[in-house]
Amino acid sequence: MYGMIHRAMRQMVHEELGEEAWLALEQKLEIGPTELLTGMVYDDALTLEIVSEAAARLNLSVDQTLEAFGQYWVRFAGQGSLSSIMKFTGQNLASFIANLDRLHLAVGSAMPGARLPAFATLESAPGHLVVEYRSDRVGLEPFVKGLLQGLMDRFHACGEIHVVHRGEKSILFDIRYQDKD
Amino acid sequence: MLLSFSEKQIGALLPAFLHIDKQLNISAMGPGILRHLPHVRIGMPCAEAFNIVNYDTAQFLQEGVNVQPVSLIARDIDVHLSGAAIFHEAGCLLAVRFAITEEMFADSSMDLSDFGHADPVILSTMLIVLQRAMLEESQANAIELAHARQRSTDLLERTSRVAGYMAHDFNNLLSVIRLNTDRLSRQFGKDEKIGKLVEIIQEMAARGSEITQSLMTLSLQRTDMRQPLSVDQVIHDNMGILDSVVGPNISLKLTLNANDRKCVVSYSDFLNALINLLINAREAMPMGGQIALSSSVGVGLIKGDGDTDADMAQSDSYIAIQIADTGVGMSDALLSRAFEPQFSSKPNGTGLGLASVRNFAVETGGDVWLESAEGKGTTAYLHLPILKTVAPLVAVSSAVAHAGASDALGKKRILLVEDEPYALEALVEMLEAEGYAVTPCASGEEALIALGQDAYDVLLTDVVMPGQNGTEVARDACIAQPSIKVILMSGYVPDSAALQPGWLFLHKPMESAKLLQLISA
Repeated sequence: MYGMIHRAMRQMVHEELGEEAWLALEQKLEIGPTELLTGMVYDDALTLEIVSEAAARLNLSVDQTLEAFGQYWVRFAGQGSLSSIMKFTGQNLASFIANLDRLHLAVGSAMPGARLPAFATLESAPGHLVVEYRSDRVGLEPFVKGLLQGLMDRFHACGEIHVVHRGEKSILFDIRYQDKD
Repeated sequence: MLLSFSEKQIGALLPAFLHIDKQLNISAMGPGILRHLPHVRIGMPCAEAFNIVNYDTAQFLQEGVNVQPVSLIARDIDVHLSGAAIFHEAGCLLAVRFAITEEMFADSSMDLSDFGHADPVILSTMLIVLQRAMLEESQANAIELAHARQRSTDLLERTSRVAGYMAHDFNNLLSVIRLNTDRLSRQFGKDEKIGKLVEIIQEMAARGSEITQSLMTLSLQRTDMRQPLSVDQVIHDNMGILDSVVGPNISLKLTLNANDRKCVVSYSDFLNALINLLINAREAMPMGGQIALSSSVGVGLIKGDGDTDADMAQSDSYIAIQIADTGVGMSDALLSRAFEPQFSSKPNGTGLGLASVRNFAVETGGDVWLESAEGKGTTAYLHLPILKTVAPLVAVSSAVAHAGASDALGKKRILLVEDEPYALEALVEMLEAEGYAVTPCASGEEALIALGQDAYDVLLTDVVMPGQNGTEVARDACIAQPSIKVILMSGYVPDSAALQPGWLFLHKPMESAKLLQLISA
């Protein structure tokens, strides 16, 4: 994954456990600023090592950490240098998800080598979405669930996300939500 | 080929499209128009909702043919649209899109849904915004990397210092072992068993010494000692290297007039400084040119900015090295930052070259600076203090002055200074056994008292000692007794420009034979 993801993970560990915890993680994995270069695409194995190490420190399972991190990533991207492009991608949950592929198209152009997923809205009704996630990668279902939860948070919605189907390269998420405002 | 698309399909491709019928009324529109221009309604005259830029709206729509570029401005709200007007028998399709700028990403109520899927402008604008974001992040990365590098450097420096101290102390211990095994060998060496044991201990001490040597190398202790060097000679001896540094397109002209005057410098540091200045000159002349490298002797203040301090004020002569190029020159802004560490005007520059030259010059007690004019070239001035060859004579007490160095029995007199008691004891015994008259002192302060009371042929002193150190004692001894032979001994290679010509140095742990050879030479 690209370095900005690692930077977000660092920020999450900072916020949850403090800077010392992240420095200890860096020392354990023998990584440093060169593994946090924003535009650099790193091997997924490194990202998963970081997540596993963070999970041990957060006292969570790897899946729980991935889900928490997915939720955190939306907040991180929305507050940092990507905030304007996040805003432009969509101004409500349905439109944001519908436009995610277009955002990823631009990200892919800016970071050649990044392996980006595809999202398709298969059903859309007020308060209900069925979203298909497609990726060559495996094992990221909790991260995507966390992302969708993070998007609900971003648009002040509350609700539930369920996996309704798991295919070889795709997962269907059923999202039922209500706007809080 | 005739293609037929539904309004919904056209709306997906062109969310801000409009269709105007023959009566010049709006007959269809995309979802973007519905979202952002809610006052625009089907059936409304187009001219009531929009102005066509540079045209009369009605005339444009009535007289247009085929496909024409078009720009529209909404009448009641600041919204611009642009694209193409496609005229056909039933009216005109305005295949337009909202105008977008980078700033609108953060401020506008529009989002990606208001733009077509195949819209290249939106993709490229998103790319620009993304790259700007990445640039911001990269700047943060660069700062983090610089901090990490600084932390590593600090840690390395601290570790080096500790390793250096350890090596020094270990060398002192090895020195005591070495000297005392020499004593054993002298007294009991005829006994084969003892002789063998002495050999083993000496071999182990030698191996220990190799380890400390490695430790000192690893700890970046200076192994290249500063020494009096003729600047002209060094330049002359290295002309081959210097020529290859400037390359074939640049001629290097030498004018060496320092007349073999010497500076106390490290050979490699001095050569590196010259090479860095030449590289800088070369880089200023990508199309070739000339570099004039000259040396001369100057008198007065050594520093370029006229600053002086107590030590410098006493310097009355220096070697001035000038490296003048015929290159592009530097602006005042560039000139003011040229010596900053990690600053470089060159795309692949490290920014360390000139900074290291400045470090070298300052450490040597000199200075370096640049003068430049844009389009005319740059001259680097490197000034280094000239070695004063003879220490000033100071009157010694007449009793001392007339006493002569050797004692009544004609033995050479040695003033021995060593703060390590076992080493002192072993040295005294060894030197006395060799027929020298030895005055042992356990500190620099004791040695200074002894110097005031008696005359000596040789000062043999440790360098690192609490209180008065060995080089200070040696300097005072040379002032009080100018003919005294100075031999310094230490686990460190002394890092001091205060070393004077003629002083001898022995690295601890030392061999007795080598020491005796130096004393008698």
